[in-house]
Amino acid sequence: MLQLIADGFVIGSVIALGAIGVTLVYSILRFANFAHGELLTWGAYLAWTALLGFAAVWGPMEPLGPFSFGWTLLASLGVAAIATAALALLVDLLLFRQLRRHGSAITLIMASFGAALVLRNLLQFIFGAVPEYYSREIQVAIRLVPRDVLGGLRITPDQLFVLGLTAVSVVGLHLFLTRTTLGKAMRATSINPQLARVTGIDVDRVIRATWIIGAVLAAVAGVFSGLTVQLRPQLGLDLLLPLFAAAILGGIGSVYGAVAGGLIVGLAESLSVPIVGAEYRAATAFIVLIAILLIRPTGLFGERP
Amino acid sequence: MTALRVEALEAGYEPGLPIVRGASLSVESNEIVAVLGPNGAGKSTLIKAIAGLVPISAGRVLLHDREITGRAAHRLPHEGLGFVPQTENVFVNLSIDDNLDLAASILKVPKKRRLGELYALFPDLARQRRLLAGRLSGGQRQMLAVARALVGEPKVLMLDEPSAGLSPKLVGIVFEKLVEVRATGVTIVLVEQNVKAALAIADRAAVLVEGSTRVVGTARELANDPQVAALYLGHHRGDT
Amino acid sequence: MPDLLGLLSYGTFFLVFVTIYGLVVLGLNLQWGFTGLFNVGVAGFVAIGAYTSALLTAPDYPDQIGGLALPIPLGWLGAMVTSGLAAFIVGVAALRLRHDYLAITTFGIAVTLQLVALNAQSLTGGPFGLQFIPKPFADVIADNLAWNLAYLAMAATLLGLSYVALERLVRSPWGRVLRAIREDETAAESLGKRAFRFRLQAFVIGCMLMGLGGALYAHFVGYIAPEDFLPILTFQLWTMLIVGGSGNNRGAVLGAVVVWALWTLSGNVLRELVPAEHQARAATLQVVLIGLLLMLILMVRPRGLLGEEAVVSRHMKDSAGEVQEE
Repeated sequence: MLQLIADGFVIGSVIALGAIGVTLVYSILRFANFAHGELLTWGAYLAWTALLGFAAVWGPMEPLGPFSFGWTLLASLGVAAIATAALALLVDLLLFRQLRRHGSAITLIMASFGAALVLRNLLQFIFGAVPEYYSREIQVAIRLVPRDVLGGLRITPDQLFVLGLTAVSVVGLHLFLTRTTLGKAMRATSINPQLARVTGIDVDRVIRATWIIGAVLAAVAGVFSGLTVQLRPQLGLDLLLPLFAAAILGGIGSVYGAVAGGLIVGLAESLSVPIVGAEYRAATAFIVLIAILLIRPTGLFGERP
Repeated sequence: MTALRVEALEAGYEPGLPIVRGASLSVESNEIVAVLGPNGAGKSTLIKAIAGLVPISAGRVLLHDREITGRAAHRLPHEGLGFVPQTENVFVNLSIDDNLDLAASILKVPKKRRLGELYALFPDLARQRRLLAGRLSGGQRQMLAVARALVGEPKVLMLDEPSAGLSPKLVGIVFEKLVEVRATGVTIVLVEQNVKAALAIADRAAVLVEGSTRVVGTARELANDPQVAALYLGHHRGDT
Repeated sequence: MPDLLGLLSYGTFFLVFVTIYGLVVLGLNLQWGFTGLFNVGVAGFVAIGAYTSALLTAPDYPDQIGGLALPIPLGWLGAMVTSGLAAFIVGVAALRLRHDYLAITTFGIAVTLQLVALNAQSLTGGPFGLQFIPKPFADVIADNLAWNLAYLAMAATLLGLSYVALERLVRSPWGRVLRAIREDETAAESLGKRAFRFRLQAFVIGCMLMGLGGALYAHFVGYIAPEDFLPILTFQLWTMLIVGGSGNNRGAVLGAVVVWALWTLSGNVLRELVPAEHQARAATLQVVLIGLLLMLILMVRPRGLLGEEAVVSRHMKDSAGEVQEE
């Protein structure tokens, strides 16, 4: 039981970070971005590429303390975050920006669906379909709770790292949104874009900030997923439904809702494994989605249906 | 000195389909000028075009002799032009304080001083700073919208139908406040359906018909002008 | 003249697929083109139809539910019923809300159905799928080409019937309401509950056509597996609709021809040019190219090759023309 909850929080962290991007793009650009999952995949693979690059220059990665990875993975994460943000800005420039000028929100969703396929297949073309790993080091899991208490709890240092860095990211985002002018401008734009403009907010700049934040968090989530599971071209596609479910569960447009939604969907997936089997864990997100749409479509923290 | 000058402006949402067709307007410093006209005359489009929200296809807009034609909407508050939209003109899920505070951070004005001045001008708002703007009554919401537009110390303040949806009594209160605002040195341009209320506070007015300025004169002249009356009797009832 | 026969056989094969896709795209057009409903789970609804009909009509499968050996028309009817039922559930959950929710929910059901197809061994045969799906009138027509031609005739008849029925439907008062709902969110809101009911009807009927298309596919190929119903299928069908011109039933069918021709052609070229060991990788490039084509059309010619037909009034045609000229 405890073990399932802990696993749920680890998956939930990945989902939460991805769902923040979905919800931010939805609230500022007003469309459900089906390409967001691909930003996770690209983030994960870009970090892997950077890792190979570092290894070529400084030799193989030395594990850092109890972790399976060394400092080069942290550096690669930084590189991937920047590169993924650049990728998101590029897709916006070439595609979404053009459609925003004279398209409806539905055209944007459709374009994002097409962009997802292009990005995924391009990635598979470049990197191939074989699963990869950041590190093949075997980690010693730490036993936090003995086996006779609620089934016990073991957790790997990598998983603790994921939980910790997720918490740091969420707190950082909270400070950004509430303390900085740009963060406040983002909130204002999500409430009322027209009024934001006449108040003096450069909405194009807000849109760029939205993509950058969404993409950076997506890269982090992608690397986490690669670290705790493995790297596959389908990594982001498989996470997309949980991301949407989490964003809607939390109330689409609400950043804190997305975090709560992500953790809840992660827990639901994890806890459903003993009931329906591991192969159906992804369907749990769909059940959560249908349930929330029928019971409370505004989500836990949302105002707009 | 001319605060705002509009020369032969053409503007509209669709290319080739101008709604404003050759509107001209000249507003002197510290004046209150009302833009009147029947429904669908393009009053609202004109003011939105000046505010950068509707594409301009021909003509010029000058703010204190500096050309601002076609400048992006978000630049104008930084250049001294404030705008109060007709509807949805406050951030409903922010408090009064946060509405003003946000504008102050965006426009980089000294927060404490400017908000203090505005709260002195709008004591009703000062009393309930923590209240969410969405909870305000129509009149107070309009006051907040005006205050928000004044945060950047604009030289010219433009309002789109400030009387819309307000009871006659509230219209009087809001318009009196505009006179007070003018007394602080702000030039005011307002688009209005409510001719009587607008002419009561305006120094001059322009009548817009089918997208172009038809009659310009002092408020007193226009109030007694049979041509203006005819324009309204045909198209509009109820608001005077 | 073996070459000519080969060409004829290939052409028939190609046209059967076009016909089946055309049927599905007609369903999609009813949803998107006429009602403005964005369905991202088309592959899922096609899959339901395919699996239902297979399970109803196939001979008894050992170790597995289904295989009722029912007559084939009953299988097709069943396909439409189950896909319609799935559409009803999704529609009730999502159609009251903004269009993004329908997109997300339909995506969700496609993902879930893919999981069921892969993992519910006792129902769907798992990754190996279902085999021995009966071919209609195979006992009467032995010759392969003749059978293909007969199947084509039958599928084309079904497509023609659906086309005529849909044309009547969208020109009826019912169809006009659909367009009004699509064009004007505020008008739709003023209809309230009735708008929801109209949307639901259009969505369910569209999905039933998708289910029928799935069934036609299953009985033509005789073998189905989860990999036949991946998101790429949804994407191809959407490209067909957009290329042909949404809101236009002729465009929907034309789009099926053009995109499937492009798809098979580019596939053949890749097979010719790329050495066997790199083909899996090259196939991904094919998706990239078709994806770029879709995006280009969305940007340059959002109303497709034929554009929308003026069904309602002269005025709509005029405004559609203006948009194209921009």
